Amino acid sequence: MRARRRSRFPWFSYLVVIAGGVAMVMPFLDMVMSSFKGAGEYGVLPYQLLPNSFDLANYRAAFDQLDLLRLFRNSVIVTVAVTVSVLVTSSMAGYALAKLRFRGRAIIFRFILATMMLPPFLLLIPDFLIMLNWPLVGGNDVLGRGGDGGLTTSIVSLILPFAVSGFGIFLMRQFMVSLPDEMLEAARIDGANQWQTWRLIVLPQTRPVAITLGLITFIGMWNEYIWTLLISSSNPDLMTLPVGIQLLQSFLDPDRTMPIVMAGLVISTLPVLAIFLVFQKYYVRGVVLSGLK
Amino acid sequence: MAALTEMVVHDSARHPPGKASAGRSAMARQESLAAYLFLSPALLFFGVFLVLPFLFALVLAVSDWSGFDLGTIRWAGLDNFADVLKPDGAFVKPILVNTLLFAFGSVALATAGSLLVASCIDRLRFQGFWRVLYFLPVVATVVAIGNIWKMMYQPAGLINGLLNKLGVNSVGFLSDPHLALPAVTVVHAWASIGGAVLILIAGLKAIDGTYYEAAEVDGANSWQMFWQITLPLLRPSLLFVLITQFIGGLQSFALIIVMTTDGGPVNATNVAAFEMYQQAFKFGAWGTASAMAMVLFVVIFLITLLQLWIARRKGEETS
Repeated sequence: MRARRRSRFPWFSYLVVIAGGVAMVMPFLDMVMSSFKGAGEYGVLPYQLLPNSFDLANYRAAFDQLDLLRLFRNSVIVTVAVTVSVLVTSSMAGYALAKLRFRGRAIIFRFILATMMLPPFLLLIPDFLIMLNWPLVGGNDVLGRGGDGGLTTSIVSLILPFAVSGFGIFLMRQFMVSLPDEMLEAARIDGANQWQTWRLIVLPQTRPVAITLGLITFIGMWNEYIWTLLISSSNPDLMTLPVGIQLLQSFLDPDRTMPIVMAGLVISTLPVLAIFLVFQKYYVRGVVLSGLK
Repeated sequence: MAALTEMVVHDSARHPPGKASAGRSAMARQESLAAYLFLSPALLFFGVFLVLPFLFALVLAVSDWSGFDLGTIRWAGLDNFADVLKPDGAFVKPILVNTLLFAFGSVALATAGSLLVASCIDRLRFQGFWRVLYFLPVVATVVAIGNIWKMMYQPAGLINGLLNKLGVNSVGFLSDPHLALPAVTVVHAWASIGGAVLILIAGLKAIDGTYYEAAEVDGANSWQMFWQITLPLLRPSLLFVLITQFIGGLQSFALIIVMTTDGGPVNATNVAAFEMYQQAFKFGAWGTASAMAMVLFVVIFLITLLQLWIARRKGEETS
């Protein structure tokens, strides 16, 4: 440990880290404090950090005026569906790329790596138009019902574009490569087919990396903004927490719009913060895994 | 990314094709069928949501099309690009210039900040706690970050409150055209420090402690150790942070939508990806918007190449 070697107390390091830490936490503290401020307390000079009282009126208003429960439900549906889908498809594709021998493996793997380099904004317009013209659900005239908005009227449109992750496949593949081949060989000798080997032998082994990937996906989707904004600005029924809180601001009590927004944001941040704090080790490892190599 | 591909190639070489024997060919066929079945959901997805849209984006960029009827699409050649890049248009100046300033500014702030913080955290106890603290903004939604800072930037907000205490008059951070872009840039840097800190701490941990011991024996001070040992050995992590943050900064516009709604005041905070978004979804100018997307894509690509090139040249100088 280098830290032990240094005899002097690292006062400079403490100073920097604490000052920076205050800058990181202050905004969140201001969010929480403002969420309790009443009509005459917010936006007046001189600025005061603390509210006069810790009254829950803004939280009640957030539930009523923002219809927070509906936003919450949409967020949960989208986030859980995407997380499950990414975990399943990544571990399937990762297994094939790590442990199965077949023609085209190197090319497919390189293709998956290349998908990670395509910036999302480039696909925004074509993806939207594809959703709008999706066949059989009213997107075009194949089998009738054309021009209904295709998939953009369904919550499926918030899930589908995120259902598979190149990063997830990469992460799973890298992890599975290190699983011993003997273990899989033994399963095969015992008569397990590829599906059973994946399901019963490989999947249980991938738990740590699955938690990492699940967490990164969950937090990313819970906070997803641009695509959901695009789809739900014409279909308010599909709004998730971040989009709803942003777009419904104009319908709030004008005297205390910001405090109500802050109350909504506190509520929407809490679940993901709790999950992060519990599993942060896994999350940190995922970020580091993607960064080193 | 180059290193990544290289590693991959070595990995796949680890499984040489088995000894070809007659009885094994049926098994090999079955294995390859199974592999493609396992890959099918992913491949189908990438076909529909990546390859197809990418080709579609290329077509749109050279087409004249508005509205939703595909029958009215017309070949436009490079007209969209000429339109987007024309010197008196708004896209190059101020929008593309803003994009570069926003990315450069936030990357410079976040990298310098995270380097300082990471090397300080590396000397302290309770590193896990500090790491989490700096990582909080990464977990928060951009809507939370944008609204909180918008609130703090207000004339009666926290930041002006502090300025007032110091005897300075309130500043309209988001309403002054000269201050709005720096103001959102700072927020973006603030939000991206946490991820960089994590990666840099991991990079610092990987540096062999004996280098420092040897330097100490030679009488080097902490400052010299930082410049002569830490910085050169941290280069791979630092390069990764720089490249990913640049790529992120050049295309990020969620924060700007949340904080300024329309990239105002008067385009002062408008960036390329946001202008593309507005052209497409506000005005239905698919062709113009797609040409903008392609221009930005090329800019990102070139800047990434440039960074890799500079890093490689620097590497040859030191080694």
